[in-house]
Amino acid sequence: MANDSSDFARSMAIATSGLRAQAGRMRVISENIANADSTAQTAGGDPYRRKVPTFSSALDRTLDAQVVTLGKIKPDQSNFRVKYEPSNPVADASGNVKYPNVNSVVEMTDMRDAQRSYEANLNIISATRRMIQRTLDILKS
Amino acid sequence: MSINDLPVLSALRTKMQWHQERQRVLSENVSNSDTPKFRPRDLVEPKLDKAGAVTGSMGPLAMTRTSSSHMAPSGAASGFDQNRNAGFETRPAGNAVNLEEEMMKAASNQMDYAAATSLYSKSLHLLKTAIGKG
Repeated sequence: MANDSSDFARSMAIATSGLRAQAGRMRVISENIANADSTAQTAGGDPYRRKVPTFSSALDRTLDAQVVTLGKIKPDQSNFRVKYEPSNPVADASGNVKYPNVNSVVEMTDMRDAQRSYEANLNIISATRRMIQRTLDILKS
Repeated sequence: MSINDLPVLSALRTKMQWHQERQRVLSENVSNSDTPKFRPRDLVEPKLDKAGAVTGSMGPLAMTRTSSSHMAPSGAASGFDQNRNAGFETRPAGNAVNLEEEMMKAASNQMDYAAATSLYSKSLHLLKTAIGKG
């Protein structure tokens, strides 16, 4: 499968796997940010728990290359934020309300990181495209 | 002697193949920039002799068929050595990919490839001139 003519196509396919993984990561981050204040439905219950995306490197047999895949999306086991709000309908018996363990600063830095990686993969795709164009230019000469 | 056997064209073709292979390796590095325990890789530059053939440890080790009933060898390993010493900054997750460094490599790879293709077309043009069709 891995013949010379498809090498550029392989480069682009690998970079595309990176784009897909970063887009998936962005989805998880936006879910976390959107739910930053989602409390439980019932009094004293657990609120939204932050999700953490994981990446893993896998050998794609058709491409014969190490591509990246978005692995399991795991829950963050850190403690919830607790606020004393006795008037809140979902407060527990002692008047405390649990808020999600989402820290917007952490999510923002993660988002910037995802954006940076996405742009890097895009750069690889455009560089590869330019290289293909140069190859085709030999025919024109 | 066919056109492809000319030393200059053969050397340029090897160089273009090397850049193509390197682009794939760099693409792997960039796409795995967030994978835990991933180490970036790079290719060692090929050394060419005067006839444009690859010298040193670069010679491809192709599989051979010892019996006609064997399957045809496919997916032979690349003829280029991999430089495994690349990357010195490792993040706590064990990932050693430095995006800026990879971008620099990709840019220089692309420019060198452009130079090689330009030289290739110039050489072809030279041949055309030589046979009076330039």
